[in-house]
Amino acid sequence: MANTVLEIKNLTKTYGKRKVIDNISLEIQEGEIFGFLGPNGSGKTTTIKMILRLIEKDSGEIKIKGYDNKKEFEKAMEYIGAIVENPDMYNYMSGKDNLKLHARLRNIDEKRIDEVLELVGLKDRAKEKVKKYSLGMKQRLGLALTLLHKPRVLILDEPTNGLDPAGIKQLRNILKEIAHKDGVAVFVSSHILSEMQLMCDKIAVIDNGKIVKTENITHMELPEDNESIDEIIEIKVKDVPKAIEILKQKFELQPQLVEGNINITISNEKIPKVVKELAINDVEIHSVTPKEQSLEDLFFDATKGGNKDE
Amino acid sequence: MNKILKLFINENIKTWKKLSTKIMIVVAILAILGTLGLVKIMEKSAQTTYQIANNMQLEWKESIQQELKYMEEQLKNEALDENTKTEYKRQIEVYKICLQYDVSPWQDNWKNDLINQIAQLKIQKEFLSENEVKEIDLKIEDLIKKLEKDDFKGYIDLQIQEEKTKLDNKEISEQEYKDNIEILNLTKNLEIGKETNEAYWKKRLLNEIREAQTSIRTNIDAETNKVLSIEKKQEYQDLIKIDKYKLENNIAPLEYTESYRIMFETLAPMFGVAVIAIIVIVIAGGTISTEVSTGSIKFWALTPNKRWKILTSKILSVLFYIIMITLLITILTVIIANVFFDDAGEQYIYVKDGELKVINSTLFTFEKYFIKMITVTVFALFAIMLSTLTRNSATSISFSLALYLGNGIAMSIINSFIKSEWIKFVPFNNLNIFDKIFTNYTSPINFSMGTSFTATTSLTFSLIVLGVCAVLMLVTMYDSFNKRDII
Repeated sequence: MANTVLEIKNLTKTYGKRKVIDNISLEIQEGEIFGFLGPNGSGKTTTIKMILRLIEKDSGEIKIKGYDNKKEFEKAMEYIGAIVENPDMYNYMSGKDNLKLHARLRNIDEKRIDEVLELVGLKDRAKEKVKKYSLGMKQRLGLALTLLHKPRVLILDEPTNGLDPAGIKQLRNILKEIAHKDGVAVFVSSHILSEMQLMCDKIAVIDNGKIVKTENITHMELPEDNESIDEIIEIKVKDVPKAIEILKQKFELQPQLVEGNINITISNEKIPKVVKELAINDVEIHSVTPKEQSLEDLFFDATKGGNKDE
Repeated sequence: MNKILKLFINENIKTWKKLSTKIMIVVAILAILGTLGLVKIMEKSAQTTYQIANNMQLEWKESIQQELKYMEEQLKNEALDENTKTEYKRQIEVYKICLQYDVSPWQDNWKNDLINQIAQLKIQKEFLSENEVKEIDLKIEDLIKKLEKDDFKGYIDLQIQEEKTKLDNKEISEQEYKDNIEILNLTKNLEIGKETNEAYWKKRLLNEIREAQTSIRTNIDAETNKVLSIEKKQEYQDLIKIDKYKLENNIAPLEYTESYRIMFETLAPMFGVAVIAIIVIVIAGGTISTEVSTGSIKFWALTPNKRWKILTSKILSVLFYIIMITLLITILTVIIANVFFDDAGEQYIYVKDGELKVINSTLFTFEKYFIKMITVTVFALFAIMLSTLTRNSATSISFSLALYLGNGIAMSIINSFIKSEWIKFVPFNNLNIFDKIFTNYTSPINFSMGTSFTATTSLTFSLIVLGVCAVLMLVTMYDSFNKRDII
């Protein structure tokens, strides 16, 4: 199973003096959904463009199914399906006609076109001109385009842009299906954390052109031992200092102030006790929410973006 | 190759599905139909002016009679000197004969010449002895007979006799005699100058032949007063052949033509080519840049095709478009010319190796369009190059268009300032391919655009210059398209 289909080694790109991509190395296996996470301008799209050779790399090596994307460009591209930035189609043509253009280049029959249209849920509107499509529909059509030739590597740059929640869920299911059933390696870039968390098997966080962290999502989402794990709880109260005082004294916790709310790390069983204690001491509680140990923290930890933006 | 072909097919599908492509073709068709309308309007208005001119001619008799009265009164005046009196008498004779034989004296035709001769003889009679008078009477009778019988050929025969006497008296050389007889025979056989309303161009062509003959005979170019070069001599010989053919077949030169078909066949390619050129430049200037700006270039760049293949398919599709739209417009022009006009249309006559050759109007129309398209293709390549380099449609289209429309004027200004040798290598001085192939063709555009310089470079030279240009542009655009990032 562990078959590397996309291999990036020591990739570097400089614009002027600024290193946009700094010595990135990645490996993506068959059947893996790989999330490429980073704030705007961190170098996600640049990396993707270098994989697809829309931009020339300065140094490093990119191999797709063992084919070097520079020396054997056409062979390498045979295995790739990709959307970069926006799915760009010819607006004055119908969705199906757009697909047909690609189908001709890759010797694909009409049956497969219908199949793909069905898969992305565009079958009913395939004959309409693309300019009448909504952004979400364009995204779906773009996905259809990339899936047309059954690629082994699927590269999607911000695929959820413009999709409604239902669309996002559908996209997630499609990606999961082709990755886990057909063994396609999916490389998804995004800055939207929650989606990545639900979608990806593995993520790499990129900031300022460097990969700062690589994690397996499944472990984060489903901790092995569920029983007495510490969780972060966010408590909204009216009288913050008083609440902090109580928490410090009675439970020996180190509450943190985040956006005016109190964050505490505490095991599950202790939550009712904390609430009770606060209520007894006349602290008005507005809400108590468990904060998932989520990508967000990982992301902000890694990129230190939290301090910068907020 | 297979991949390029598929890309090429895709490019074409893409182009033809675009609404603007269809609109542009409609515009081109409208340009041709508009030309037809224009020519038809000209035809109509010309007919009406012709009728007015006819009515005017009827009034000449009245004025002549008034003049006669006036002159007869003047003759009674004693103070008049002899010379004036003789002149008046002669004029009176002329008018009388004119009235008698219904010939307008103000028209420049052979009958007036005859009448003048008769009047001259009649005046001479007064000063001569009886024997001589008889001889002259016979002569007058002969001339009047010719006038009565409308005997144009007889009139020319008189001139032929005169030439013969001149030769006998050694007033002219053998060659000059031959040349003159040739012209007179042409005049006689084709009855040039017999009818008053006859086209002026025939006389002009005769003059042209006469001048060419003189130049060849004297070995001095009548136009420039320099010794005739061998090429120029050949040119004159060919010119004589062509002019004779035109006279014999009643083909008026373009400037004098009354054929509205020829007018249409001249104007249609002018407008047609201009409109096609604009359309082609607009399309070519947007090939890469529109796709880059809308992002749809990625549509192709993400397929397993190297960049040069993508660019090749795009260039080929522009060339294909040029060919298709030119073909369409050419066929349309030919059909309209054949359906709406009756005469043979514009033939191109030339001499090759001493042999006269004629290209018929249909073939000539094709050649007109397609050879002029060579120039347009160079500009289209230029537009594609700019489009690849600047990635901005507005810049590449407007710049290319400005160059296409303005290069003639700009170059004629530049040429008049810079006289160095190198300026002939400037591509814009080599664009007139059509005029270099069809050297006998004077298109109305030649008058408005400076062609003085371009005439000095040969066809091969021009083609090489343009070819080198095209290669440089192709190298530039491939290099740029291959290396630059697609953002």
